[in-house]
Amino acid sequence: MSAAAVGGPARPRRLNAAFDELLGRPVSMRALALLRVLAGPAVLLHLWPFLTDALDGHVYSDSFYEPYASWYPELPDALYAGLLALAALAAVAMSLGFLTRVATAATFAVVAYNLFLSTTHFHNNRAYLVVVLGLLAVAPCGRELSVDAWRRRRAGRPELGRSAPAWPLWLLRFECAVVYGASGLSKLLDPDWFGGTVTWQRVVQARDELDSLPDWAVSVLTDRSFHTGAAKLIVLTELFIAVGLWSRRTRYAAVWVAVVFHLAIEGSASVQVFSYLGIAVLVVWAVPSTRDRLVRIDPSGAGMRRLGGLVRALDWLARFRVEPAPAGSPLEVVDRDGAVLRGAPALAFILSRLPLTAWFALPLLLLPSVRRARRASER
Amino acid sequence: MRVAARRVVVLAVVLLQLVFVARGYWSDHKEFAFQMFPESSTWRARVVRVTADGRRVAVERPWAGYRWDELVSVRGLGYPSVRHHADAGLDNQLAFLDAALDWVASHTPRDRETRYLEATVRSWHNADPPRVEVLRSGVREGVR
Repeated sequence: MSAAAVGGPARPRRLNAAFDELLGRPVSMRALALLRVLAGPAVLLHLWPFLTDALDGHVYSDSFYEPYASWYPELPDALYAGLLALAALAAVAMSLGFLTRVATAATFAVVAYNLFLSTTHFHNNRAYLVVVLGLLAVAPCGRELSVDAWRRRRAGRPELGRSAPAWPLWLLRFECAVVYGASGLSKLLDPDWFGGTVTWQRVVQARDELDSLPDWAVSVLTDRSFHTGAAKLIVLTELFIAVGLWSRRTRYAAVWVAVVFHLAIEGSASVQVFSYLGIAVLVVWAVPSTRDRLVRIDPSGAGMRRLGGLVRALDWLARFRVEPAPAGSPLEVVDRDGAVLRGAPALAFILSRLPLTAWFALPLLLLPSVRRARRASER
Repeated sequence: MRVAARRVVVLAVVLLQLVFVARGYWSDHKEFAFQMFPESSTWRARVVRVTADGRRVAVERPWAGYRWDELVSVRGLGYPSVRHHADAGLDNQLAFLDAALDWVASHTPRDRETRYLEATVRSWHNADPPRVEVLRSGVREGVR
């Protein structure tokens, strides 16, 4: 047998092995647990109009609808309304982490069933919600931040492992990037969009809704040439988010821009649960390991004690261990790579890694004093 | 076995998602293609019932106990004579209107005079000049 014959199949085998290792690599499920908690309210918001209509005695089939397939099962009205109510209860249980696996699967099943009842039910935000719920349903994301975990501890049973094969997390990241990438690409390829015609026309069509803005703003927003540039900025923003999320160097910037992007959309268009869901899903881009950064706080000072409590309360992604420091020590944080920050730069760093404060604190990391401190700690 | 299943599931999801994204470029309904705010296109339509004796009656007038805006209350189709934004694109909007004509034709059993419904649609694709097209429901059985 020649060397070439041996080397031929060995390379695909190595690639397969690397791919399997990537999918099966045990990683922290903390981000998915947090997303599970956040997804419940999105489901309730999504189901609310269906539920209120059903309680008023009106269901989708009372007016125009278009089934995807004639064989798709449809339920009697009362049963359909009951199913929606069950999904709402399941969504609450999912968020609380009560019978998490069953609750998440039930939520996914009903939301997906409802989506595919009619082509008229379809919206991008609902599709995204179904994808997210489907991936949460296959991930063991109820082992922390859950009533299930609390009951287990209370019963004195050993805790279940908080790590699990990474593939649902990778798929969620892929889907998250696809949402921005597909949207940006479709606009990039459409000359009307990229050239600014679409946004300009939409603003002109909605001219009456701009009355609350000052005249100069209306003048700018209705100026055709403004949209020549603005449309390109929008398209490149979406594409930057889609690509930037994949690299650790650009990830924080992409997350920051994505939040701004979603808030801008929420302020200018009716997108149902898309903004909330879009921002919530961004947590899956946190590095999937926990308690690998150390915060040292001097507990003798009241302010520092409060800060310690705040870090513990807001550290939803479990990124920090908080330990006491000797009296009189400044606030100190030790990053994964061993870099040590103290004082104000440490505070900026900590806040930039907490989900609720990250958006406000991330720009602080660009301040020269923080950058200098970081560089000095790396030497 | 578990490793192979995992590989198959992941590849299937990725492939399926990419197919949906590509399909969005030619399909009326762009499921899972995530094409957001695709057009500024607008449309309006004159929707009439064409009766067995050849009359053309606007659907804004209730008939046989039916009202168009109650029968077709979703996807911006309730008041077709008013110019609307096609928020998921013109092809998507007109596909819905076409399907709605068929649905109304087949879900109005008390109506014994309408042979079919017809929509004369005037649409503006982004900044293009307007285009006029006619959509018709299927002919209703038993009405001559």
